[in-house]
Amino acid sequence: MIEVRGLTVRFGGVTSLQDVTVSFARGTCGLIGPNGAGKTTFFNVLSGFVRPSAGSVRAFDTDLLRLAHFRRARWGLRRTFQTEQAIEELSVYDNVAMIHEHSRLSAGSRRRDVLEAIAFVGLDLDPRARVATLGAGQRRLVELARAVVGRPRLVLLDEPAAGLPDEETRHLREVILQIPSHAGALVILVDHDMSLVRACCETTAVLDFGRLIASGPTEEVLRDEQVIRAYLGTEELAA
Amino acid sequence: MPSWQDFQPFIVSGLALGGVYALSGVGLVVLYRATGVVYLAFGAVGAMGALIAWSLINHAAFPDWAAWIVAIVFSAAITLAYGMVFGAALAKREPLVKAAATLGLLLVLFGVMDLLWTSSGGASRSLSLPTDNGGFQVGSVQVVWTQVIAVGIGVAIAAATGAFLRFTKLGTAMRAMANDREITATLGVPVRRVEAAAWLGCGALSGVAGLLLADLVALDATTLTFLVISSLAAALIARLRSIALTFVAAMVVGLVHDLLTPIQSLTNYRDMTPFVLAAVALLLLSQRRVISLSREEA
Amino acid sequence: MESVGLSTSARERWRAHRLDASALLRAGAVGVLLLFVLLALPQLLSLYYIDAMTQVAVYAVVALGLGVLIGRVGLVSLGQTAVLAIGAWVSARLLFATSLPFPVVLLASGVITMVLGTVVGLPALRMRGLYLALITLMLAGAITVVLATVNFPNGGHGFLGYNGNFVHIPSIRRPAIAASDPAFFRYAVVVAAVMFALVLAHVRSRPGRAWAAIRQSEPAALAAGINVTLYKLWAFALASFITGVAGGVLAAAVRHLYSIDFPTQDSITLLAVVLMGGAYSLWGAVIAALLLEFLPALLNNWGVSADWLTIVFGVGVLQVLTTAPRGLAEQVPRDLARLWRLVAGRGRHRPAVGGGAR
Repeated sequence: MIEVRGLTVRFGGVTSLQDVTVSFARGTCGLIGPNGAGKTTFFNVLSGFVRPSAGSVRAFDTDLLRLAHFRRARWGLRRTFQTEQAIEELSVYDNVAMIHEHSRLSAGSRRRDVLEAIAFVGLDLDPRARVATLGAGQRRLVELARAVVGRPRLVLLDEPAAGLPDEETRHLREVILQIPSHAGALVILVDHDMSLVRACCETTAVLDFGRLIASGPTEEVLRDEQVIRAYLGTEELAA
Repeated sequence: MPSWQDFQPFIVSGLALGGVYALSGVGLVVLYRATGVVYLAFGAVGAMGALIAWSLINHAAFPDWAAWIVAIVFSAAITLAYGMVFGAALAKREPLVKAAATLGLLLVLFGVMDLLWTSSGGASRSLSLPTDNGGFQVGSVQVVWTQVIAVGIGVAIAAATGAFLRFTKLGTAMRAMANDREITATLGVPVRRVEAAAWLGCGALSGVAGLLLADLVALDATTLTFLVISSLAAALIARLRSIALTFVAAMVVGLVHDLLTPIQSLTNYRDMTPFVLAAVALLLLSQRRVISLSREEA
Repeated sequence: MESVGLSTSARERWRAHRLDASALLRAGAVGVLLLFVLLALPQLLSLYYIDAMTQVAVYAVVALGLGVLIGRVGLVSLGQTAVLAIGAWVSARLLFATSLPFPVVLLASGVITMVLGTVVGLPALRMRGLYLALITLMLAGAITVVLATVNFPNGGHGFLGYNGNFVHIPSIRRPAIAASDPAFFRYAVVVAAVMFALVLAHVRSRPGRAWAAIRQSEPAALAAGINVTLYKLWAFALASFITGVAGGVLAAAVRHLYSIDFPTQDSITLLAVVLMGGAYSLWGAVIAALLLEFLPALLNNWGVSADWLTIVFGVGVLQVLTTAPRGLAEQVPRDLARLWRLVAGRGRHRPAVGGGAR
């Protein structure tokens, strides 16, 4: 259970988030909104890269904002980014193992956990392969493996399917659907692909110009007039 | 502790030095704001200009004023050439890469200078300006016209550049480009021409600074090349942003440096002044920490 | 998702076989080269070139330190020459003032330099890229001024160990087993090899992987739980340590130290050769040192001014930076490093890149 209250982010005259109060209960939750709505800023607050001007975030009874950014991974926060972040010069195994290592999980179960995560996302290759040799779809899967290895509590997925062809997006959808049951984590998914959001998320919150304009069961939210108006003029909602 | 009398001549020389640092610092800041390049070769370019002037005066019987003009034109031309070739090639890279590239230019010029003007042991070169002869008396201190000019040019350049950036079309374009080159281009601003103007202006200033420093300090390739670090210190204290602050910082650096001269216990360390001031300023000013995810952050 | 013809286990075995073979080959090549350098080289070269090669050993370690910072972590330091000077200063002081065995002096010099480097690095590391580079330049400049005033120890008394009135200046002592120039050359090479091994150990284990993550993207590294500041500091500490040790070797190599031997320009030239040799690969550091110390000796012998090299280095910097597609910490082998790698057999082992947009 993630409870966000009155979250405001103001920097240099720009208010990216304005008094956002929302809760994410369990399973997979969507976070959508037009470009510039503040979705990535929201993730950045959760990751600890941006300090909010006001507001609180309580995640599973922890005051998340009190933790230093690099300690949040140890707490159980995982995140993917819009641009690929798998480390090219290292192998797939090392990429995933690094998360395990720095989250201070026990070294004894490391090999098993890492291989399990790699298998879970459906990467069928020698884990010693260097990421530099992989294609975009496979790299996304490596990032996803990094996000689910060990026992994460909260997984933030920032446009995981961006730039991928349909076939790979479909595979990604299958994997994302299983994350809550496999890893026991709460997932927040940001994406513009509405079919992905519909398929994976039971509930969805919508941001527009830094404000929360809707939140609740996904189908209802997508039919909400305000939400449709926010997306007016774009084809995203129709997808 | 030396007396007030002892300090007085150093106030004057310190102001003069500060004036040249201000002039250099402003050149560095304007170029950085327009192109994102910290022109570390500023000193080397000016040094070579001064050496060329020296050669023309002493070996080619050029009249002084003509030699100085050649020096300034040379500095401007080399800087413009660098800007048009390498500045353009590296335009999309991070500021660190752009600055490191200017070190390449510095090394090339340094090598050339040492080849053509070998530092032959003993015989040292000097460049004198006619304003060295004559001056006036302020209290018990002799003030040489060159020093007045140094301060004057420093003030004039700082003021003129500040006004230029704020009130002219070209200046406003430069300020816009500092924020985002791409967007400025889409607004119809002739980005390449604005950059060229910035490079040219900065180059000319380096020529002037080179001549003044060759007169006030020494005509030596190494000294002049690395004096840019003092001007850079002033520019860094101003966070490579404010012209006014660069001016003030430069005057402070120059003054403190020279005022340490009569203090016996510190005099040997006075060359540390720009480094220490810049390091302290940078460390203090970087207190607030915001992780930036943008690539424009220096 | 691509599917290659072989099954997983078959591919696994095949790749394991290839990795082991090439790793053994590389280790073998390095071993042979090292033996050649230690045993054969001193017999083949004149004293003049042995001195130059001793300098190469010293500066290979310095270049390695800078290479770790630039190539592995993505930090640019323009003050490594000052760090080397500090290491030399500390070693000279200890060698004159105490009768500690030479290796202990090297170790102490490394540790003290490391502590100083870390203390100075800590506040500086909060800055990014450009500002960090400029502040290291500032700090190096300050240190250079201090050294010019304080001078290097020359056997005098007092904390600074400098006596300006000496008529006969004592020489810095060398280890008993390596008193002659050829013997000291071997000693220097062994020390350098140990430093390289130390760095290799770092690169292959946890800090190396963390550095790779930091270089790729700091936010992503933080999100992965990596304490970025700690690992950057670690890189600084490592670079300072090995450079401090190199300073000790340098002190004993030249026997007399003068502050004019460490001009500001050297930090810039060092950056140039490290970029040209390749900041990422360990071999790049050796190439950098050969450019920096061997070529000038060669040119000097032939009556060509070393200034031409300075010009070449300047052009080299411009060439490397304009052709490197991304950042200063460029993984793609640079011209000379590329050649070297082809020779060492690495060029063949890059598998075909999979499909999909990059």
